[in-house]
Amino acid sequence: MTATARHVGPLLEVKGLRTQFFTQDGVVKAVDDVTFEIGHGQTLGVVGESGCGKSITSLSVMRLIDRPGKIVAGEILLNGDNLLAMKEDAMRDVRGDQVSMIFQEPMTSLNPVYTCGDQIAEAVQQHTAVSRREAWDRAVEMLRIVGIPDAKRRATEHPHQLSGGMRQRVMIAMALSTDPDLLIADEPTTALDVTIQAQILEVMRDLREKNRMAIMLITHDLGVVAEMADEVVVMYAGKVVERADVRTVFGSPHHPYTKGLLLSIPRLDERVERLEVIKGTVPSPLNLPSGCLFKRRCPYRMRVCDTAPPYQEVQPGHFSRCWLTPAGEPPDVGADAEGPEAEQAADALTVAPR
Amino acid sequence: MTEQRATAAPTDSGTGRPKGDTAAGGVTSGGQTSAQRTAARGGSGQGPLLEVNDLVKHFDIRGGLLGISKLGAVRAVDGVSFTVNEGETLGLVGESGCGKTTLGKVVLRLLPPTSGQVSFEGKSLFDLKARELKAARRDIQVVFQDPYASLNPRMSVGEIVGEGLYVHGMSNKRERESAVRDLLKRVGLNQQHIHRYPHEFSGGQRQRIGIARALALRPKFIVCDEPVSALDVSIQSQVLNLLSDLQDEFQLTYLFIAHNLAVVKHLSTRVGVMYLGKIVELSDADELYRSPAHPYTKALLSAIPVPDPTIRRERIVLKGDLPSPANPPSGCRFHTRCPMAQEICKTEEPPLRDVGGGHLSACHFAEEVTPLEVRRPVAGPA
Repeated sequence: MTATARHVGPLLEVKGLRTQFFTQDGVVKAVDDVTFEIGHGQTLGVVGESGCGKSITSLSVMRLIDRPGKIVAGEILLNGDNLLAMKEDAMRDVRGDQVSMIFQEPMTSLNPVYTCGDQIAEAVQQHTAVSRREAWDRAVEMLRIVGIPDAKRRATEHPHQLSGGMRQRVMIAMALSTDPDLLIADEPTTALDVTIQAQILEVMRDLREKNRMAIMLITHDLGVVAEMADEVVVMYAGKVVERADVRTVFGSPHHPYTKGLLLSIPRLDERVERLEVIKGTVPSPLNLPSGCLFKRRCPYRMRVCDTAPPYQEVQPGHFSRCWLTPAGEPPDVGADAEGPEAEQAADALTVAPR
Repeated sequence: MTEQRATAAPTDSGTGRPKGDTAAGGVTSGGQTSAQRTAARGGSGQGPLLEVNDLVKHFDIRGGLLGISKLGAVRAVDGVSFTVNEGETLGLVGESGCGKTTLGKVVLRLLPPTSGQVSFEGKSLFDLKARELKAARRDIQVVFQDPYASLNPRMSVGEIVGEGLYVHGMSNKRERESAVRDLLKRVGLNQQHIHRYPHEFSGGQRQRIGIARALALRPKFIVCDEPVSALDVSIQSQVLNLLSDLQDEFQLTYLFIAHNLAVVKHLSTRVGVMYLGKIVELSDADELYRSPAHPYTKALLSAIPVPDPTIRRERIVLKGDLPSPANPPSGCRFHTRCPMAQEICKTEEPPLRDVGGGHLSACHFAEEVTPLEVRRPVAGPA
């Protein structure tokens, strides 16, 4: 918290992050020039389909990328300190202390041979100089805060004795036991039933307000994003294709992929005979198309899309990686532009995202 | 256990009590009845194709020294009755452990029932002899949830899709191959891929293979068990559209099982909601959303996040977890988590009854369940 007071500006800044996997079949650009920021107490939703790089982005922030993966470029600033330049020792203190993470499948992230209380107490002792007894009390207290009934008894139980929703609460309790500034939640409710999901989201909302904690929420569920996020980043094939505040993304999306996603989900509150469809499938990361990565599936495809599209600021604070003008028209350089002419136009339209 | 038959005859509004203050009469304002929609979809709407009557499926819990003494039973399906009319889609929703998948498997005769009846076209499925059963299986097919686990990795697409044809007497290889090619084309796959193996396909494509396999024998009835829940959002809509096109083209009847109420509502004519082995509400799909008559349905509706940040809805967060189906609560099974529970709910099990116009609910206080409040405090984006 002292760091918070010193640093003015956003809590987390990710600039030009590139994470690549060097596989036998070639280089997979899992995260390719990703830039975003999260303010104190803000919730950023990162959405996209499987393989879009959203989980790798979050693991990069935690510096949990193992071989054959590698962070090859970019900066990750937490309270102004570059995490990528830190020694491993210092990074260990950041993990858990300032940034905590919860994963999709709570059973595989909890140790089956220790009690829930022990596992939380261990995390507490890692990061604060407290006695075993105090750490245990803190663990029970955390279990109570995340809404586990009969927390004292539950702390003495092993993970297999708890239901899926309970386990995810234990994960959240552990993640929050050290009072982090940033919680990275990677699909925290995907494995859970909707009524249990509602409970977990309620817990997260509650704690966010009480602790003024920022959340990076990674999910494929647009409904969860709409309910939780302040700002949204939409990723496709390793790139950010759209970024804006939550109302803009849902109310007036610019990128054809975002539009397609929003139209393709069945809604409870309306009935349509047919769903809109994004044709085709996500391209293989080893065989990405040239130019715009979405062009093969895009209903607005133009000749100019064979050149990498600009990252435009279509409205103040609303970014989109697409050739269409803010009004949705073909670009000034012409729908059929190609070669250096198109590249120059893309450079001119691209803004340095803040 | 006196379950009422869940035959939601849409015109039977004579005996129905008016539900709540708003939707008087039951067959609600503006909404199509299921029969009308079935007719509109081109189905023949000739009454029930499938009838499920007081179906029970218990799984024994065994233990003891030799592992043979019976310690109890998981009551996965516990007295379920409903009908599926020809040409319609009956949706079944519920959370994990509510028995929806077991129900589907018993209807398919993949699992033997503990008691109860299922009849297809008037004939009891459980009384069929081996030969008759084989014939019935032509008419009843299934699409499974996990496209990665439900296709044999050592069989080519042609073999997977054509196996049923072979088993049912199409022994000419060339004939079979041309039938498979037709099917692949129909479900949107490349006909050249007939000799490929499942691992060469993406999740969405594999689900199409599973659908082609189900279609091969020109069935009348398909049980779809979570057919899209393993798929990405953009692929999910492709498969949903395919299912609905095929229904029109081949006059199919679906039993559509899923946990996602939005998906179920999109495809279904009528929807049944399951909780701990029982159907707690069954009604026309739009009606269910507009005016739920069971507090569990209402809680489910409220728990589903809506992809629209300008909407603020009444938030009902249910307490606790699903109780164990091995030891369900007394009286109404939902009373431990129900925000409306009274004394009577702990002791007396509410029957599934008609609360108006064929809308069935198993709640003592069905008439007092109000529609979910939805507000739009700000119009349009900021």
